Amino acid sequence: MMSKIAVDSVFHAMFLLTDLRVILRETAPLHELDDQQRETAERILNSLMAQVQILEKELLR
Amino acid sequence: MKCTPSLEARDVDENLINIDPIQVGGRLTADAMKAVIAWGDGYSVCDNCRKPNRLDMIKNPPIDQFHRDLARFLNMDEARVVPGARRGFQAVSGTYIRKGDPVLLTALSHYTEFLAIEAYGGIPLEIPKTAGNIITADAAAEKIDFIMREYRKPPSLLFIDHFDYQFGNEHEVRGIVKAACQNDIPVVYNGAYTVGIMEVDGKQLGADFVIGSGHKSMAAPAPSGVLAATKERSAEVFRTTGTKADVTGRTFGIKEIEMLGCTLMGVTLIGMMASFPHVRSRVKHWDRELANAKIVTDALLSIDGTKILSEMPRKHTLTRVDTTGSFDKVAGTHRKRGFYLTSALRERGIGGTIPGATRVWKYNSYGMTEKQARYTADAFVEIARENGLMG
Repeated sequence: MMSKIAVDSVFHAMFLLTDLRVILRETAPLHELDDQQRETAERILNSLMAQVQILEKELLR
Repeated sequence: MKCTPSLEARDVDENLINIDPIQVGGRLTADAMKAVIAWGDGYSVCDNCRKPNRLDMIKNPPIDQFHRDLARFLNMDEARVVPGARRGFQAVSGTYIRKGDPVLLTALSHYTEFLAIEAYGGIPLEIPKTAGNIITADAAAEKIDFIMREYRKPPSLLFIDHFDYQFGNEHEVRGIVKAACQNDIPVVYNGAYTVGIMEVDGKQLGADFVIGSGHKSMAAPAPSGVLAATKERSAEVFRTTGTKADVTGRTFGIKEIEMLGCTLMGVTLIGMMASFPHVRSRVKHWDRELANAKIVTDALLSIDGTKILSEMPRKHTLTRVDTTGSFDKVAGTHRKRGFYLTSALRERGIGGTIPGATRVWKYNSYGMTEKQARYTADAFVEIARENGLMG
């Protein structure tokens, strides 16, 4: 049976990485993040780790 | 970083401030990047295509609504997505130009307008520019008079670029449209450098057609664009097929001839759609873009011998600059020759200029944050100072 949860997590993770990619673009070339950008990046990374955990649970069980 | 063993991951905009004159308005929004990830497969938008099987009528994803929104965004009656502005020029040319017809464009027109005219046997005739590189309404009226005298008929079309690709100068669009209307000449407004970055109102301009570029100014993947028309003209340019095959007797429903059926069937369209809410919003902040452009332009002008060749004050973020009297003087003795400027910019994390160019070149500050504009401005001044160009 397919794992809809895993598929959703893959997309979610890639979308979160895309948001990080945009932060890299907005802060190029030095990539010095201001407080708000750091806060956003931290929130994205936490969500990303949660998605990776879901994928581990779904695909490596 | 590589996508495949033989294909680099393109990370220009992640690592550098990109000032390439044609690239910056087409960079994807985050939403477009996400949509590209999810909809990259070939015919991805066709999962729910139902009769009458036409792209602009697909309801899921909401492509039909997007077409209506696009027309409203440009204040026109009908819109279709096309594979780049040039395919819009081609569709309109195919509808109106017959062999030997005079067709009006300008001394600053994009080459694809010439090719579209040539493809249908038209004779391209340019409205001359002023010494300041502006296309005026008076010059348009004079050229129309000339054509009427020489060809004994009006031009079958008039192409006018609101802002041109060479200088980013604004031309007298309203007056030119008025001169064309007085002679019943259909007007094609080329908004490759306006649609998607500044507000465009087709009806107010009086244009019969408004054409935009997705990859140039609408934060969409290439090749993408929009062709919008008034109600009257849409019946002509978006006419449907009447063909019946002689052997099989097949007919082809309501496919549009100039569109060759469906146009953007996957990632290009979905990217355009995903960016659209952001595009609709960003056009209201053109003043912010001009303020950032001014930061960079002022810095360049502070360097002895540098001239801005585009009209001043700047009304567009694309600017042509002449550094023959500044950066080029260094190129003559520098061990890297003309490449020192590209190299010095690259070392500071700025890219998008033509390698080796130190005389006449273009840059575009569109999409920069103010911080990035100041950084870019400082970088130019710093390079000039390091090379003894700051008095």
